[in-house]
Amino acid sequence: MKTLLAEDDFASRKFMDKYLSQYGECDVTVDGEEAVDAYMMALEDGEPYDLVCLDVMMPVLDGYQVLKAIRDIEAERGITKDQRVKIIMTTALNEERNVKKAFELGCEAYSGKPIDVDRFEQVLRKLGLI
Amino acid sequence: MAEEFNVDGMLDMFLYESGQLLEKLEGIILEKQDADCFDDTDINEIFRIMHTIKGSSGIMMYENITRVTHKLEDVFYYLRESHPENVPHLELVEKVLAVSDFVNGEMDKIKDGEKPDGDEKEILEDLDNFLKRIKGEIKEQGIRLPRENKHEEPTQFYIAPVASEDSKFYRIVIHYRNDTQMSNIRAYSATYALKEIAEDLLYTPEDIISNEESANVILSEGFYMLLQTKSEKDEILSLIDSAEANQIDIERITAEQFIKGFGGVTQPEEQKIVIDLGEEPPAEKKEKAVTPGEYVIKAKETGKGKTLAKNQPKQQSIISINVEKMDMLMDLIGEIVIAEAVVLQNPDLNGMDLPNFQKASAQLAKITTELQEVIMSMRMMPLTNVFQKMRRIVFDVSKKLGKEIELEVIGETTEVDKNIIEHISDPLMHLVRNSVDHGIETDAEERVALGKSAKGKITLEARNEGGKVYIIVRDDGKGLDKQKLFEKARDKGLLGSKDKEITDYTDNEIYRFITLPGFSTKEQVTEYSGRGVGMDVVVKNIQSIGGRLEISSELNKGSEMRLVIPLTLAIINGIVIQAGNSSFVIETSSVKEFVRLTENSIVTEPDGEEYIILRGEAYPFLRLSRRFELDNALEKVDDGIVMVLEHENTQVCVLIDKLVREQEIVVKPIPSYVKKVKGISGCTQLGDGSIALILDIGGLIHDEERG
Repeated sequence: MKTLLAEDDFASRKFMDKYLSQYGECDVTVDGEEAVDAYMMALEDGEPYDLVCLDVMMPVLDGYQVLKAIRDIEAERGITKDQRVKIIMTTALNEERNVKKAFELGCEAYSGKPIDVDRFEQVLRKLGLI
Repeated sequence: MAEEFNVDGMLDMFLYESGQLLEKLEGIILEKQDADCFDDTDINEIFRIMHTIKGSSGIMMYENITRVTHKLEDVFYYLRESHPENVPHLELVEKVLAVSDFVNGEMDKIKDGEKPDGDEKEILEDLDNFLKRIKGEIKEQGIRLPRENKHEEPTQFYIAPVASEDSKFYRIVIHYRNDTQMSNIRAYSATYALKEIAEDLLYTPEDIISNEESANVILSEGFYMLLQTKSEKDEILSLIDSAEANQIDIERITAEQFIKGFGGVTQPEEQKIVIDLGEEPPAEKKEKAVTPGEYVIKAKETGKGKTLAKNQPKQQSIISINVEKMDMLMDLIGEIVIAEAVVLQNPDLNGMDLPNFQKASAQLAKITTELQEVIMSMRMMPLTNVFQKMRRIVFDVSKKLGKEIELEVIGETTEVDKNIIEHISDPLMHLVRNSVDHGIETDAEERVALGKSAKGKITLEARNEGGKVYIIVRDDGKGLDKQKLFEKARDKGLLGSKDKEITDYTDNEIYRFITLPGFSTKEQVTEYSGRGVGMDVVVKNIQSIGGRLEISSELNKGSEMRLVIPLTLAIINGIVIQAGNSSFVIETSSVKEFVRLTENSIVTEPDGEEYIILRGEAYPFLRLSRRFELDNALEKVDDGIVMVLEHENTQVCVLIDKLVREQEIVVKPIPSYVKKVKGISGCTQLGDGSIALILDIGGLIHDEERG
């Protein structure tokens, strides 16, 4: 599993990087713009990510913008729903409206922080990533 | 329960909604436990409740709940589709209660922050056996088994955060001894030590590392920190190096104080909220929809305080109020308005010149009006959230069905009473789903052939008109096929009598067939609609709040569903009029104009129907005196006043004797011992203590139309 992690908070980043690395390569960016760039780069190289984990509150572009951008790029390139990258939002903003918005924009899962690792793993399994 | 609110909004929502549904479920069960069987309405309702909980628990990943509810949904699916007889009712009741208890138990665990780890196997097995028996029964009774109830795995998941305690907020002030060297660096070590436990930390002065001058400020004014953490005071104290400190004050503060930052604490000009939260006042936050880009963190400037926000401070400026109390308050305001009228329009005052009293009463009137407005506004909520849900539904369903659909939303900020919002969310959802699923053509080429754009369009519109809220779902799809609807209704035996012809029904009556329980013309039942749960529920919900559903449609052009809902303005602006010895009230907003006319403008048809020609246009003419058989009312148009009233774009002219005044009217329902009179919607008490009837313009017009 190839993962892209976008997270600006150092502690969370370190934790998630470590956690995700057990499943395979994990690239890390610290802001939203970089995340979109990294996604594009991987796509161009023909080695797209299997999973993108997005924090919501990030510099330059927030998680919603990145999510939307990725889904837009996919739509534009004609990537079908079953082939598109799985996206999990990881954030402490877990009011209903935040979650709904993310689902609406097309993320696969929305994980509140602090992250419930067991559940997270369960979702990875359900999404067919591990 | 309000105090125990979980930090997690999504979880709250799930618990709240499911809790409500389960309560409803138990209500049905307990009411019907001694009956012989559930009727169709109950079966529909239980099916729907299970379906909803199944869906939301799927997203929340409570798999045991999903499995159990799914199984029970299956049971009710077969009951609903095949109507088998001899279902062991008592056993069924027990099964439903067992499921309800199970889900409730799991939800309690979730509430307490535990994992819902209940073992569902026994219940599942039990239900499976039961289902098998029912299926056997169905076969035995010679009824064809319906298609399997398809279960779609959820495609989106919500991972609830690890349950955590509530955060506390502290203000910490450190005063160092005057001779302390490099107090800025000491201050930095303090912040560094606290970072370990901090969820958020702000401090001032900010530039403690980059600016050596800050040391002087710290010495003279002290070093201030605001800390959000789950730790207790003692722990904080132990982390701060107190070697050079003179005094360390730690004070618990509220979340609001924390959000305000240091404003008013030390240096008023410091505004230190570093994360851009969209700058909106907390009270409004809940209502606003999220937009991408809202959560961008502004670049940190060097030397600015850094924040480690992992948790947004909890919004404590919102309190939840029991709706009953709100209703009571509303009633009391109504009484005040009446009491005010009784005082200010007291007959004892007639003919007296009381300038000071007039002034005082004007002031009183102003305050009561304001009071009313505030109460109303407290109960009003914009439809934004509801419409937001609809966007999601259109998005999901259209993607799923492979239809390209554009959703246009108009007037989403229209405000309606909170009670009403709760009641329209579900109905609206069904209408929107229906439009996406059944309304818009599956085949885009079909659309193009009809001269429409390939992309389907659904319009969701809300507007406020004449004290009513109109919520409209419009699609440019197939439209309703009257012939098909009629045949279907006949085949399903919904017509009552077998030998009715399609011509016996008006278009409207035929469209109404779709609102009957168990009616579904769609051959292919999909995940989203077509099961016939829905339109009957829609109508029931809407009627329960005094609204109605209007349907219009044109084949191949599209359909329009209109929900017409009262604003529940318990207090309206009305014009008091007199006809004969009776007083009536007409809502000000439905009055177009007052005119004085002569007998010449009246045209009488041979059948006695009267029309008024006003500026070259004919309006139906109505005499209140004849309509309500009033004594002593004016008969001649020349003497009275003609009011032009409007309701839903239809006008009617009404003859009255005289206008009394315009005032605020507290609408009271007509007591149940009075027979329901068409054209009267309620009554009120006037200032002199007399009763006036409130005219229902719609009722008047409709009655007129039917002759």
